[in-house]
Amino acid sequence: MRSPSQRRVPVRAAIAVMALSGMLLTGCSSSTNEPPASDELDGLSLEELKAQALEEGSVVVYSFTSRIAAIEAAFEAEYPGIDLIGHDISATEQVARLKAESASGTTTADVAYIADAPIVIRDLVEPGILLPYVPARVADALPAEHSAPLPANRLSTKVLLYNEEANPDGPPVANLWELTEPEWNGKVVMVDPNVRGDYLDLMTEAVLRSDEFSSAYEELYGKSVQLDDGIQNAGEQWIKMLYDNGLILVDDTDAVNSAVGKMGQASPPVGFSSYSDLRDNEEEGWALQVAAGVAPASGIVFPAYLGLVAGGDHPAAARLFIDFAMGDDSETGGPGYAPLYVAGDYPTRTDIVPPDGALTLDELAAWVIDPAETITIRSDVADFLLTLE
Amino acid sequence: MRAEPALRGEAVRVSPGDRGKRLRSWLTNPVAVLGLVTTAVLVVLVVMPLIGLIGTTLGTDGLDAWQKVLSGRLAPNLFWEPLANSLVIGSATAIGSVLIGSFMAWLVVMTDAPFRKTIAVLATLPFALPSFALALAWETVFRNDLIGGRVGLLQDLGLAVPDWLAWGTVPISATLIAHYYSLTFTLVAAGLATVNGSLTEAGEMAGATRARVARSIALPIVLPSIISGAMLAFAEGVSNFAAPALLGLPVRFQTLSTRLYGAIATGETERGFVLALLLIAIAAMVLFASTRVVGGRRSYATITGKGGRRSAISLDRWRWPLTLLAGLIALATTILPGLVLLMSSFARRTNSLTGGFTLHFWIGESDPGFAQGQRGILLNPTVIEAIWTTIGLGLAVAVCATTLGLAIGYVITRLKRPKFLSNALGILSFLPFLFPGVALGAAFIALFGRPIGPLPALYGTFAILVIAGAAYTLPFASQSGRAAVGQIATDLEEAATMTGAGLGRRMVRVVIPLAARGLLAGAVLVFVKMIRDLSLVVLLVTPATPLLSVMTYRYASEGFAQFATAITVLIAVISISATLLARRLESAAQPWSEAT
Repeated sequence: MRSPSQRRVPVRAAIAVMALSGMLLTGCSSSTNEPPASDELDGLSLEELKAQALEEGSVVVYSFTSRIAAIEAAFEAEYPGIDLIGHDISATEQVARLKAESASGTTTADVAYIADAPIVIRDLVEPGILLPYVPARVADALPAEHSAPLPANRLSTKVLLYNEEANPDGPPVANLWELTEPEWNGKVVMVDPNVRGDYLDLMTEAVLRSDEFSSAYEELYGKSVQLDDGIQNAGEQWIKMLYDNGLILVDDTDAVNSAVGKMGQASPPVGFSSYSDLRDNEEEGWALQVAAGVAPASGIVFPAYLGLVAGGDHPAAARLFIDFAMGDDSETGGPGYAPLYVAGDYPTRTDIVPPDGALTLDELAAWVIDPAETITIRSDVADFLLTLE
Repeated sequence: MRAEPALRGEAVRVSPGDRGKRLRSWLTNPVAVLGLVTTAVLVVLVVMPLIGLIGTTLGTDGLDAWQKVLSGRLAPNLFWEPLANSLVIGSATAIGSVLIGSFMAWLVVMTDAPFRKTIAVLATLPFALPSFALALAWETVFRNDLIGGRVGLLQDLGLAVPDWLAWGTVPISATLIAHYYSLTFTLVAAGLATVNGSLTEAGEMAGATRARVARSIALPIVLPSIISGAMLAFAEGVSNFAAPALLGLPVRFQTLSTRLYGAIATGETERGFVLALLLIAIAAMVLFASTRVVGGRRSYATITGKGGRRSAISLDRWRWPLTLLAGLIALATTILPGLVLLMSSFARRTNSLTGGFTLHFWIGESDPGFAQGQRGILLNPTVIEAIWTTIGLGLAVAVCATTLGLAIGYVITRLKRPKFLSNALGILSFLPFLFPGVALGAAFIALFGRPIGPLPALYGTFAILVIAGAAYTLPFASQSGRAAVGQIATDLEEAATMTGAGLGRRMVRVVIPLAARGLLAGAVLVFVKMIRDLSLVVLLVTPATPLLSVMTYRYASEGFAQFATAITVLIAVISISATLLARRLESAAQPWSEAT
């Protein structure tokens, strides 16, 4: 038997629980952070940094790539006595973790090696959680766009790839607008931009480059592009037509690569993925090739940032690590850069020679994103994409 | 059979003026005190993270997110359609899991079917396999040429596989059922094992048909286990990301979990948290409604002081057909995905079973021409270390969560007043695994980041992983704790009380031994869930505590799919070993009950 009073319990239960927890919460409101590490360290020479870093004894690095393990070994070989503690954490989770640590005053990391640049700027750089440190040694060789708001040591890509086995004479399209034609219906693959940030950056760039999409349309069809109702520019129009033309969304880049690249396909799709994945062609039995030279661009190039964590316990060692990860003075960046020296990814430093076996950045003709610009409309583009599905 | 054991205590009706007396009677009741303590623990483990989650959605961005999710031009694609899809998938998973899981449990526990033990072992294993393995297994057979690239076996044979069979609702539901029926199987089998032979015999003697005995006696007894299993399967179904992402996205089939994951991954954190809160609210409503519909928390005490052997139901001519059916289900959901998983870890090429095989990803020495010079996982010292850390974490969490689950189960089934306490416990303990791991992890950093009074800061320690893990796996522990304790008749405890045993002594001497089978089943689920889970631990883990699940994700995101798969195989092997070991322990823990 149930008494009437039992029917009301959930509300009472909820209230009781809320009241209790409210009291507990007020008991542990957070205090303000320590002031950020002093700037005078920025002026120290490498030798001075090294001396101070040896006293600190260790440095904690959050890295979005598992190659931090290799960088760690190289760093400890170069600087015996300084223990590098590398955490391998994806960019999304680094953002969450760094924000939570900063809010609760439990700064753990000294350096963040992180992608997802637009979000990093909004959530970590603007609130002062990550600070820039550009070693004087490399400052001259680092173009302005790659030294602020945070220095980047490497650029990655999301570009149009095609199957070279099925298209031995070069890219099957010369213009991204062709992908909106019936011939390519259901034959364009990419990771859902509402699931992966770098693909959202690609879509955002398309909107930012509307003028170029507009000219590319005229180039192809000899007339100016007609915008549908509610569409504001040529970039959005291209995205809408791409979605309407049976764009296939998948959950990760491997799915794109194998769909596009698998050998023995009569009419394989094309898709957006990382240029550096071409290095897996032989191992995986793919025939991936980059559609360099398509109009208006083959895709995007985006930075991987090195950020100094404000209030970290090892400020000198942190700077020493950033110096190390920016590469030494040799042509290939030396042991600190070696794990990242991969064809299809690009060093930001103009004095490091890009790895063999890939087109130069100029030949690739992809848009280098400006993360600070991207973030201004990125959410709106995400919302726009939601209306298309 | 008694629906309302006396120990629950008929509450004395009190007038409002007697509040003080009522309060005093609560405080002198050790069960109520246990209830209060347990609630306090849940406040820290569940309510405070929940409040943190709500708090983040009340800022400007958060309110904007609420508005966008619930109304306006984005709402249909962002929330309503994914919600409908999630409910369909969740319900299908719950119903399918209950039907298949209960059938297998009935066959194994109640009948004279041949190969019962083998089927019982196999049926507990799918949960130990990762859900993406089942999704991959489905693709291996049914994938069509929608995306391009490789196709599945059927298409290879020249059969055209329609999109509805290759992508979307059907394959997602099927793979989730194949994964989670073992949950309901585990719980229902533990429940059925306690069906007392004297009850069914009494029914038969009274002239009831076998169907009638099943419907009127056996079913009500296992109903709490079935509901627990259905609820867990529902919650797992709506929160699963891998299956809908792999099999749904190509046809733009979105669920709340893919939307939630996507929002957080693309930096729209508030939006993700709003979706999570809605998911939590919906799951709480479903939990609440389902317990109402089936008659509240009624449970039958079947473990009594009286003995009674159960005689197996004779299946006669149905013996072989039913065994064959169960055997096929068990094989299709364990051996097939297990093989696919194992083969992909040997495959030279990612997810391709036709490109040749290699042992490199397991035992290869570093070779610059292969996998970028990474060594096979069994030669990688970090992996070896991670195996032990993972097992240690799984055990620690299983012990903590099960202890908590036992306390929750005990309070819910034994405490009559104040009833709101047990209701609160019931709902709170069900919610945690609907939390996005990122939110729960961030909440624990906020809670335990700095020293609290005499307690040291736990952030960065093994302890915080255990605490967060216990919170996260609470739904399994509390559901099984509840089902296990609910079946113990109170006469045994009353007898102990009369000999002067206090609550603690009754727990150790009576309740725990009798509930051991159910608790152990729950502990294994907790262990398996914990060692596999990624999203929670990744925010809290340190290099000093490497975990296998974190390593699979890293390898996968770096494009080393075979390493990721190989480690997934390791996780599955550990899970399966734990499951098998627990079965041995079960018989050892309750030598008086029949082995199933």
